[in-house]
Amino acid sequence: MFHPGGVHGARHIAQSLHHVKNAIRGTCSSKLLMQQKAAAAVAVESKKGTVTPPPTGPAPTAPAAPNSVEVYIDDKMVMVEPGTTVLQAAALAGVEIPRFCYHDRLSIAGNCRMCLVEVEKSVKPVASCAMPVMKGMRVKTNSPMTRKAREGVMEFLLMNHPLDCPICDQGGECDLQDQSMMFGSDRSRFTDIKFDGKRAVEDKNIGPLIKTIMNRCIHCTRCIRFGSEVAGVDDLGTTGRGNEMQVGTYVEKLFASELSGNVIDLCPVGALTSKPYAFTYRPWELRKHESVDVMDGLGSAILVNSRGGEIIRILPRVHEGINEEWISDKTRFVYDGLKRQRLTQPMLKNSQGLLEPVDWEDALSGIAARINRVPGQEMAALVGGLCDVEALTALKDLMNRLGCETLCTEESFPMNAAGTDLRSNYLLNTKITGVEEADLVLLIGTNIRFEAPVLNARIRKAYLHNNLRIASIGERVDLRYETDFLGDSVHVLAQLADGDHKYSEILSKAKKPMIIVGSSSLQHGDGTAVLANAIVLADSLRSKMSSNGDESDWKVLNVLHRHANQVGALDLGYKAGPSAIKQMQPKVLFMMGADDGVVQRRDLAGDAFVIYQGHHGDKGAEMADAVLPGAAYTEKYATYVNTEGRAQRGNVAVTPPGMAREDWKILRALSEFVRGSSVLPYDSLDEVRKRLAEIAPHLTRYGQVEDANYFRQSKDLVWNAARPGHSGQTLPAQQRELEDFYMTNTISRASRTMAKCVTAARHQKSTRYGL
Amino acid sequence: MSRLASSSSSLVSRVAGSGLTREVKPLVSTSKREARQRVLNLYRSWYRQMPYIMMDYYVPVSVADCRKRLKEVFAANRHLTDIRAIDMLVIKGQMELRETIEVWKQKTHFMMYFRDTVKQKPSEGFLSKFLDGKS
Amino acid sequence: MALRNGITSMLRQAAIVKQHCPASRLSTTTTMHLDANNNDLATLNKTRLDTTEGKSLNEIGLGPMDRTKDFDTRIELDVQDDLTSFNGVPKEHTKGRTVRIYVPARNQMQSATNNSHLWKLDFDVRERWENPLIGWASTGDPLSNMQLNFKSKESAIAFAQKNGWEFVVEEPQPAWQYKHKSYGYNFSWNKRTRVSTK
Repeated sequence: MFHPGGVHGARHIAQSLHHVKNAIRGTCSSKLLMQQKAAAAVAVESKKGTVTPPPTGPAPTAPAAPNSVEVYIDDKMVMVEPGTTVLQAAALAGVEIPRFCYHDRLSIAGNCRMCLVEVEKSVKPVASCAMPVMKGMRVKTNSPMTRKAREGVMEFLLMNHPLDCPICDQGGECDLQDQSMMFGSDRSRFTDIKFDGKRAVEDKNIGPLIKTIMNRCIHCTRCIRFGSEVAGVDDLGTTGRGNEMQVGTYVEKLFASELSGNVIDLCPVGALTSKPYAFTYRPWELRKHESVDVMDGLGSAILVNSRGGEIIRILPRVHEGINEEWISDKTRFVYDGLKRQRLTQPMLKNSQGLLEPVDWEDALSGIAARINRVPGQEMAALVGGLCDVEALTALKDLMNRLGCETLCTEESFPMNAAGTDLRSNYLLNTKITGVEEADLVLLIGTNIRFEAPVLNARIRKAYLHNNLRIASIGERVDLRYETDFLGDSVHVLAQLADGDHKYSEILSKAKKPMIIVGSSSLQHGDGTAVLANAIVLADSLRSKMSSNGDESDWKVLNVLHRHANQVGALDLGYKAGPSAIKQMQPKVLFMMGADDGVVQRRDLAGDAFVIYQGHHGDKGAEMADAVLPGAAYTEKYATYVNTEGRAQRGNVAVTPPGMAREDWKILRALSEFVRGSSVLPYDSLDEVRKRLAEIAPHLTRYGQVEDANYFRQSKDLVWNAARPGHSGQTLPAQQRELEDFYMTNTISRASRTMAKCVTAARHQKSTRYGL
Repeated sequence: MSRLASSSSSLVSRVAGSGLTREVKPLVSTSKREARQRVLNLYRSWYRQMPYIMMDYYVPVSVADCRKRLKEVFAANRHLTDIRAIDMLVIKGQMELRETIEVWKQKTHFMMYFRDTVKQKPSEGFLSKFLDGKS
Repeated sequence: MALRNGITSMLRQAAIVKQHCPASRLSTTTTMHLDANNNDLATLNKTRLDTTEGKSLNEIGLGPMDRTKDFDTRIELDVQDDLTSFNGVPKEHTKGRTVRIYVPARNQMQSATNNSHLWKLDFDVRERWENPLIGWASTGDPLSNMQLNFKSKESAIAFAQKNGWEFVVEEPQPAWQYKHKSYGYNFSWNKRTRVSTK
């Protein structure tokens, strides 16, 4: 971590002022200090002067640096790192100071003034969010001066704030409401309402996702700082000053970021709210269900709010290891796609060739009748990216008992050398938090901005704060931070692997390099070459690190998956890629959630029987002879393994519509109809999870990431095999522009909100301000 | 009869547990012997009261059926080793006996003792539950 | 019984004695009731009242029942607390239900954390369907709105064990992590943390 000159400067000035003061006052202040120290010592002894942890998880602690500084918050002593702000020191002491503009993950603004606290020797109250602590500082967070300051600030904020609480979406979860109740005064002195009145500001149009009512804006500038720092999109800003200040885009422009929905959470008042779900709910009537997101490969922690039997909104949860506090727009707004195009009844193709709804018993017995006619070697299964691990296990168990070994995922993975046999080949090995420790990231064939927006935000955070250097190989895309663009084909990567490129020197000097290979580049022809060269390069960097004496277990190679459960399927033993199916031409194909259309009717035998089990009527259901309605990710108890290899549980929020059932239960019921002794040995979720633990123990160790090894062996296998050739063509990014981001899987394709976003992005591109 | 618990080992329940013995405040009885006495007394009270209960309620069961049911109900809780739980069940049994004797119950309530045996639920398998509904 | 006996014996044995009160001018006759030992009952009773005056209830033996005195004993137990045998809950809501013990996530729309300083116990979600009368959500699950709050993880776990539910504990994420921040970073001349916007 670097310390820029600013901090040293401030502290130096503060210290010198302190010395000057001491010099002027002579011995008095030092006596005072000694008295304070004595008092503090007494306080320490009497109260055991420690931080009282909140009755939740591990208490937040400042890293106990050897040069810790003592601070007294309300006579409670805390030892903090020098350079901590008063607000953070108070938080470490368990005292929460009210604030509007300060946010943990954004830069300090200090413009709301709600965090003013009294500091003992200061005449004016001090903005605790910005003031660094000094040694022996005594802070009073509940003194009359502090309270007066808070009431005053609250009064000013409320003077120009419209009386919108009854119609404001933020009512019930509004920072302004809560803080005015707790810290504000009980009466208003605003008499100007009869003369000039309150300030009125026009509403801005910043897209189909965010509803702006700028009358309510208190100019905390959180949205501006978010756009500028986290999203990298400088669309929001301020115009004018004083009373005339307006927050907006100045010209009517879309807030063109894939993380734009997070400003809805950030805004402390109801100025920025959710447009798809305006005026539909109040927060106290919603049920909260904690779950995991499946829109991308990261498995962000989400909170699903439901009322009655339908999902009302999706909010992020804090998870320092994956998504911090952010979620992408797709994750946030895709839930209206869960209500459209749903499969609600089992269907079988009748004699006219049309899918006809039937009941469960008929459907399962009909399917079993067709399956029983076909030997195991002529059957196959294909799974998509949204299936949960329980369903994948049930499917594999069932197929294996019927004699079928051809179970494939829609996503390919290069199978030369080690392929998917070694776990380290297909995981994000340095973990997502590794981005914050790395000093160089090499992105290969991935538009990480749209494939994993939250990971991109973390890379950007490291770029801003840790001086991270990012290099990219692949199609030139705008990642919202500066990258060293090395080239767009595998040729560059091969040169780097051999050490022949100009950039190789910089790569080898990096202390903690990270190579991220995007799974989109592993799909087509050059994929084998990409992975092989990446493995070789990663190994050479690792050996350089260990030869420099680096003892840490830093793993260099990472693969970023785009689908939620690709890693889970590979962990269970599914073959990557439909090539096995295409070779085999099966007579029975069981498609579970397979909606990318990689296998068509022409790839199968002439009279093949296709069974589709999933939750949306998309490409898979279109080509099916039998349709079984399953449950979507918010409707089942499911396990998902993210791209780091972290198994996480998703919980039920609402029940699946119509006659749909949970996926593994459908397969268990089907197993009772098919031939032989194929009845699956589990009846309840616990038993399924026991089976998962039998297959791979990490699948039930929720929330933990297990390190994978055998990098050297993998590289040896690649090295010994012939290095695959490459075509020299550009590694195409599958999502190039913002409009490509919104509709990538079956749920987002069914969503009206996502369609509006695509339209808005296309429209913005055609205007003269562009995206 | 008060004995200091620490000194006597016969107070320790003999059922194999987790291995951590702890001391708890008793409910009514202080030993397994006492609890057993209470249980048997309750059983005897019910057994002896059966003919008189049958005289009070016009129900399609005979005294023999009642006694058989009584045995089943007591046998169902045979596995309990926690004296406090046994005491609680005895207290509840005593209350039920009182309500039955004083005819505070009606015959509907009395027949609730026979609910399980009258309507034999077929053992539901996974498939029947799956076809019926969602959970 | 004792009271009855006492009164009858008093009636049988009391002798009515007239006494002269030399100090008084009025010729009042005082009836004196005596018990078997010729003790004046009135003075006896008066004495008892005198002795209880000004004393607390505890001192005269009428304080709250201290049941621990009844049972000096403790019984030793090595079985888990289990209420399922007698709490009357039907087996379908004991055996088949899984319970989640967790710390609720903070509402992301606000910066207030009070609701995340507790442990919650929540049941698995069962079917909810649309009621045909008005369209509200019906459920057949009596535990659908059962949410219990606890101060600590251990008390929540003990409760779940006592009631015989299968439970799953989700360890909470740390509330926040200390990050080194400084207002001065916004104005650095050579670092990327220089803030370009308001």
